[in-house]
Amino acid sequence: MSRPTIGFAGLTHLGIVSGAAAAAREFPVVAFDVDPARVADLAAGKLPIVEPGLPELVQQHRERLSFTSAPADLRACAVVYVAPDVPVDESGASDLEPIRELIQRVAGHLAPDATLVILSQVPPGFTRALGRGPARTFYQVETLVFGRAVERALEPERFIVGCADPSAALPGPLAGYLEAFGCPILRMRYESAELAKISINTCLVASITAANTLAELCEQIGADWSEIVPALRLDRRIGSHAYLTPGLGIGGGNLERDLATICRLADQHGTDAGVVRAWIANSAHRRDWALAQIHERVVARVKEPVLAVLGLAYKENTASTRNSPALALLAALGPFAVRAWDPVVSAAPEFHPRLTGAASALDACVGADALIVMTPWPEFRELRPDAVASRLRGRVVIDPNGILDGPAFRAAGLEYARLGQPLRGATG
Amino acid sequence: MLTHQWPNAENPSRVFMLGGGGFLGRAVRAALDAAGIPSVAPLRSELDLGADDAGERVAAMLQPTDSVLMLAAVTPDKGRGLAPFMQNLKMAAAACAAMQKVRPAHVVYLSSDAVYPASAARITEETCTQPPDLYGMMHLAREVMFKTEVQAPLALLRPTLIFGAADPHNSYGPNRLRRMARKDGRITLFGQGEEMRDHILIDDVVALIRLALCHRSTGTLNVATGQSISYADLARKIAAQFERPIEIAGTPRQNLVTHRHFDVVALHKAFPSFTFTSLDAGLARAHREMLEQA
Repeated sequence: MSRPTIGFAGLTHLGIVSGAAAAAREFPVVAFDVDPARVADLAAGKLPIVEPGLPELVQQHRERLSFTSAPADLRACAVVYVAPDVPVDESGASDLEPIRELIQRVAGHLAPDATLVILSQVPPGFTRALGRGPARTFYQVETLVFGRAVERALEPERFIVGCADPSAALPGPLAGYLEAFGCPILRMRYESAELAKISINTCLVASITAANTLAELCEQIGADWSEIVPALRLDRRIGSHAYLTPGLGIGGGNLERDLATICRLADQHGTDAGVVRAWIANSAHRRDWALAQIHERVVARVKEPVLAVLGLAYKENTASTRNSPALALLAALGPFAVRAWDPVVSAAPEFHPRLTGAASALDACVGADALIVMTPWPEFRELRPDAVASRLRGRVVIDPNGILDGPAFRAAGLEYARLGQPLRGATG
Repeated sequence: MLTHQWPNAENPSRVFMLGGGGFLGRAVRAALDAAGIPSVAPLRSELDLGADDAGERVAAMLQPTDSVLMLAAVTPDKGRGLAPFMQNLKMAAAACAAMQKVRPAHVVYLSSDAVYPASAARITEETCTQPPDLYGMMHLAREVMFKTEVQAPLALLRPTLIFGAADPHNSYGPNRLRRMARKDGRITLFGQGEEMRDHILIDDVVALIRLALCHRSTGTLNVATGQSISYADLARKIAAQFERPIEIAGTPRQNLVTHRHFDVVALHKAFPSFTFTSLDAGLARAHREMLEQA
């Protein structure tokens, strides 16, 4: 039996990765975007995003991937996913107008029996409010993680599908497509599925915030969070995959968007979101950890410091700088000279008025009073303490994520600080 | 947090000081003089802000190009309760009335961290204001008065406990502890001095006021060092500066222990190059100046 054609409309991170994963599951894919230039680039194998394994995946299954800017080409599809990333503003509020426009544009070209699935991040109530035929309109939770998007698209933990009537069977082509991934399929009403996505992120934020709160306490009382984490992971109530790694806030944009949605809905309906607001405040506080360290360890001691910043992307294995802690840090380093290096993001003048792009991670260290590792790119693990020490003018190494070998850097005479470790002991 | 109308610092054309004759006002004026920034600071004998015609008199002296620095206040050491509360509001009302007649170029109001609840152990500019007493309520009311009644760029500075040898105030802090040690050879603490507080040297407060004036800053900023210390440790540091042994004595605790720490990231962002005088250096300077004054 031939496999149905699956369409993806909106070729940003989510749409590209999801389309490639569908092709990898041997479904013919029509990948549509309104931007002809983007489509031409994709057709030529030029990917507009950085995602480990994606170039190979697209290349391997290229014959099943058809890129187009003609919406009429979606008429061949039994299932069409609408999957653009939803833009958010600085407060985390979603701009839903682009996805509404895209749905309207796509809907006019669907085959009569085609199924439309909203895959983008939309707030509760969005799908039902579209007012489309309930039997052919669904919402599906996406769980894309930048840097691990391919792995998660190919091997999803489960599918969560929002339906007008959860007791009714899914349309055959959609069911067949989802079953090809061999994971549980959870059907629920639209609003539950839309809130399920937010619920997942809320639980993650709760874990991250707990880790950040306790890591900060560790820094002050002589405890080491990295020693505590293994004990927590062995507790079945917490689990081996729990988000327990402290970080510079919650980062990334999508989590903030969902927290903003909760606050908005809670305010609208009079429910209590006080704890969510506390998480947001804690995130803002921890985001500035590196800045506070720089002031305490460098600015207070050195007249005109030069700072080496490694990493500009918001996390490793991505070129995205949205909500990047590194860029937030640069914005607060106004008068100081900064030398920066990132494997995929170029040091742009708009990031900082006195920013110099270095040729390599070690080159960034030359003549600097402090090294600050803002993005935990795996390649930074290879930095040798003696090589760093010989290039730095100062002795300070600030490594929030602990990507470097802290004991080795301390042994090399460097003053090493990371999240969750005693800060007093870090003073060399 | 603060934003700067002048990202690159410039000298304001003139600073009009209300309350320029006090401990802090004199220090600010000296710093402005040293920086070549013209200033006027009417003496209490020339201008009584509590007088009924004070608003008109201030307006007559004020120029539209002035930066107004409002320091005038009846502080708790001069009295607590309703009378000073109302007196302080009257002074602020006079300042507002004057600035409604002659809109200045910039206003800097020196408020207080007393606007925050006593129970708030960690303070940022985002911490909800909830004054525990009339003094804190007075500063909060004045902040609102300046925000709503004056149409000029406004910076609200909320200092923590200020110390310096010339400070006539004798509130529970380095000044009182040093004076106790000098007079009695003994420092008496509330309880065992467990409370953590942030103490800032007057020189740093003056420098930050000057920065706010020279950047024509707007918004709210806590003026604190970000480093808190217990009164017990503070007493030990102060005692160590005397040649003779100083006894440090606790007393039965009357109140619950409260702590106060400031997150000063907003200050770092507002003035990235600013560095604080360390507490040790500040205490040493205050001690030295006290001996010089003797």
